[in-house]
Amino acid sequence: MNELISIFIGMALVNNFVLSRFLGLCPFFGVSKKLDNALSMGIAVTLVMFLASVVTWFIYHHILVPFNVEYMKIIIYIVVIASLVQIVEMAIKRTNVTLYNALGIYLPLITTNCAVLGITLINTQEDFSLIQSMVSALGGGIGFLFVLVIMSGIRERLELSDVPKSMKGLPIAFITAMLLSLTFFGFGGMV
Amino acid sequence: MTTILILTGIGCLLGALIILAGKVLPPESRDLKRVERIAELLPGMNCGACSYSGCFAYAQALVKNPKTLLDNPCMVLLQDTEKLKLVEASLGLTVNVTMMERKACIHCGGGSEDICQWAGTDTCKGVAQRHKGYKRCPFGCLGLGDCIMACPQNAIYMNSEKGVAVVDWEKCNGCGLCVAECPQKLIQLVPANTKVALLCTYASIKNIPGREKCDVGCTHCKKCVRACEHDAITWNSKRLTPIFDHNKCTLCLKCVEACPQNTLIACVKEKVLVTD
Repeated sequence: MNELISIFIGMALVNNFVLSRFLGLCPFFGVSKKLDNALSMGIAVTLVMFLASVVTWFIYHHILVPFNVEYMKIIIYIVVIASLVQIVEMAIKRTNVTLYNALGIYLPLITTNCAVLGITLINTQEDFSLIQSMVSALGGGIGFLFVLVIMSGIRERLELSDVPKSMKGLPIAFITAMLLSLTFFGFGGMV
Repeated sequence: MTTILILTGIGCLLGALIILAGKVLPPESRDLKRVERIAELLPGMNCGACSYSGCFAYAQALVKNPKTLLDNPCMVLLQDTEKLKLVEASLGLTVNVTMMERKACIHCGGGSEDICQWAGTDTCKGVAQRHKGYKRCPFGCLGLGDCIMACPQNAIYMNSEKGVAVVDWEKCNGCGLCVAECPQKLIQLVPANTKVALLCTYASIKNIPGREKCDVGCTHCKKCVRACEHDAITWNSKRLTPIFDHNKCTLCLKCVEACPQNTLIACVKEKVLVTD
């Protein structure tokens, strides 16, 4: 149990996907303008990360390892994630229209999100068991959601602040991201 | 060789899985298709003037309850007769466009004194987010003009004497873009035949007696109800505001005269805003 908690915290805070691994930066800047959108994107990424981790664990341990083709894992993971997103999108569209509308374009966009590919590769690399990879995927997803929500909250306020003209928009967002990243270094000794 | 076989196998498997998912999952609900069809007819600017989060949400509301089109019409759609007809056809009702005409009304008469100096951002939204404004009345118009910036018709101007934005009803075309801009939620679209309007919004909040906060706030004295000889004014005891029946109103202006705070104003179509 302790190990699972340390994996969760390690993924969510210490080795946060956005702020210390620098993965999934495109949605971090692209979708962090509005709090609602950031929340939807974060939830969608968490969901896909979790599902992708479970499916790729089975594929890796029951197909790739027995046939000795581990080196093919990147390309297979990409295919798996892409089709998984397709199925999830279809399922949400047909069962819960409101949720589908809230997630909108962000669900298909996750196909190309490197954080999702990242979590599956990290799980394989660390040789996690099924439960461990599920927990690490949840941790990674929630860490991503957390950072995205913080960033969008700050950016919503920045929009109304008196920022020097040359710094307006993306430049000040980059500086904010840098400061946030520094803050997250404070979690460094935790796990 | 095994590599190729495995990759092809996984590819085929996933493809089959997607097809299977398409078959097994319940089909898209009919409503969704209707919503999508109506959403295509809507302007698609997601301006938010209808108070829904976007055109898609508005289309959903329309499908759920077609009467939404009458109570809360999309102003841009009303101007596009062709598309309006298509929407009407798919919802099964007709809209009388002339009756639907709306004008923006800012429910604040100004007059609340400043209690501190504000030197930060000069937008209403910025001020409202950090504090409850710098006026004594926390619900009043901040007078920094976010709505003026939003108005495409230049129909809103600032009454600098009272520090309050005023809508010029001759120019206002009721597009409603200003409604979402006001952080104090003071702007409302009212029917264009509105004759008398209450220029105060905190009337609905019980524990703030008007006269302590500003000179022109509603004090719930109900003098307007008693003054009306045509039963055009009733009292909404839930929101503590007078309700006006514009069909019964003969524009005798007795209520406006009776109002001790000058909160009521007469909106006459010919002459835009006549105070007293």
